[in-house]
Amino acid sequence: MHTRIEADPARGHVQAEQPAGTPAQGRRNLLRGSALAALGAALAMTAAGRGAPPVALAQGKGPQMLDYPGKHKGLAVLGDRPLVAETPEHLLDDDTTPLDKFFIRNNGQLPEQEGNPDSWKITIEGEVNQKLEITLGELKQRFQAQTHRMVMECGGNGRAFYAPTARGNQWTNGGVGCAEWTGVKLSDVLRAAGLKDSAKFTGSWGTDPHLSGDPEKRAISRGNPLAKSMDEHSMVVWGMNGQPLPHIHGGPARLIIPGWPGSLSTKWLSTVLVRSTPHDGSGMGGTSYRIPVTPIVPGSTNDGKSFVDMEAMPIRSIVTAPANGTRLAAGTRTIALRGAAWGGQAPVARIEVSPNAGQTWQTVTTTPPRNPFDWTRWTHSLALPSDGYFEIWARATDRHGVAQPLVATNWNPQGYGANPINRIAVLVG
Amino acid sequence: MRLVLLLGAALLAAPALAQVVTPSDPADYPDQPGRDEAVMFCGSCHSFKIVASQGMTRAQWDESLKWMVTRHNMPELEGEELDTILTYLERSFPPKPAGTRPGWTNPFAPSR
Repeated sequence: MHTRIEADPARGHVQAEQPAGTPAQGRRNLLRGSALAALGAALAMTAAGRGAPPVALAQGKGPQMLDYPGKHKGLAVLGDRPLVAETPEHLLDDDTTPLDKFFIRNNGQLPEQEGNPDSWKITIEGEVNQKLEITLGELKQRFQAQTHRMVMECGGNGRAFYAPTARGNQWTNGGVGCAEWTGVKLSDVLRAAGLKDSAKFTGSWGTDPHLSGDPEKRAISRGNPLAKSMDEHSMVVWGMNGQPLPHIHGGPARLIIPGWPGSLSTKWLSTVLVRSTPHDGSGMGGTSYRIPVTPIVPGSTNDGKSFVDMEAMPIRSIVTAPANGTRLAAGTRTIALRGAAWGGQAPVARIEVSPNAGQTWQTVTTTPPRNPFDWTRWTHSLALPSDGYFEIWARATDRHGVAQPLVATNWNPQGYGANPINRIAVLVG
Repeated sequence: MRLVLLLGAALLAAPALAQVVTPSDPADYPDQPGRDEAVMFCGSCHSFKIVASQGMTRAQWDESLKWMVTRHNMPELEGEELDTILTYLERSFPPKPAGTRPGWTNPFAPSR
């Protein structure tokens, strides 16, 4: 017997129950609870409506769900000031993450919206022959546009799996999305300003105000070695999934530095500073976006001076269907699994699933990524031996032979790099 | 009291662009001595939700406050005020035992 699982149980039902309000209403009423119960009801209804056996999600105390204009109400709010929301794994079931399901990460406040996107100004300065001040409109005219589907992932994705708890937003695996980004190569823009021999690093700033509102402070400013900025997939983008880049995702223009911590992909991009020395903006140094070289005792205090900047993100896989907590009809013996895997360090080489806590593994069927930094989508028909409770594990291995660990490792005070195997639980009968 | 002055300064710095969000409400958090002070102080810059989602030792809470002072220009707490807030954080949000931490939990686990 084959049980069909609804790809997106929350879609439609939850939205119909809670229509998107006006922006003002959305802000006033940012948070709502009890979404998991609604999700379970929705899943049961949709499945029944299609003639499939009834399925339901386990009931329980769920996270607060997002209510924000244009965003899916299944996103889980991690913080409301600054606004941070993650996408539960079962909402990452689309090959290309839709705008409404894309996660939200802010470090400061949202800047005011730009009325005329093409007049948005970007400055390239520092170790360049000629400071370049260019509007987004001029940028579109002057340089060759390209579109790539690439993963954008928060540097702290997976932090919630660290024990003891690491400081910061408690992301599970939902600080990630994979969108089609349209823009120009950052390298073309930097070359237009003329790179000096002394150019070795870049740093960037957006226009988002500091959380405190203090105009003397910057919300965040991050940077990386020049070589990464010169990668042909590092871009200044204005389009996301064929739409103008939404304000909440950094529109009118942002950087995309794929495969590395998402904070490098500066939103509301205003300035790129080309430097001879590593960037020292807020968000650099100490324990911020840095990981130990010599592993430290979990829970210990550390100033991070001996750490190194986190560069490429570790490999990760998730099960996107069925949802964690799905209850299946008695007698169900086959589950159609779907998922995704990605990593910034090397291409995904193998994805496996286990129905028995890793005693045996089965290799899944993958769809090749479209381009570097795209994710790998996968499917698998998993046989179950009986009714009962099953945890289904998924792990990915990259081309260098590096696999996801069973538990989050290399603990650090701010919790970067946690990529343990993903698991979902299902109950048959 | 210095804490009140600090809170006042933090509130005065509240921006014109401030988004309209529900302010952190002390009643939402564990009723221990120092609750109002902690929620108002921490909540003047960021949601108290992120505080309540952590579980740390007193030393780790102290380190986190120091980190915010150096990283985010948080007004530095001293003496009795520091003690009041650290004691509240330590008692209300200690390291979480396995099974109650954020992260993956069994969605079918019997409720206790």
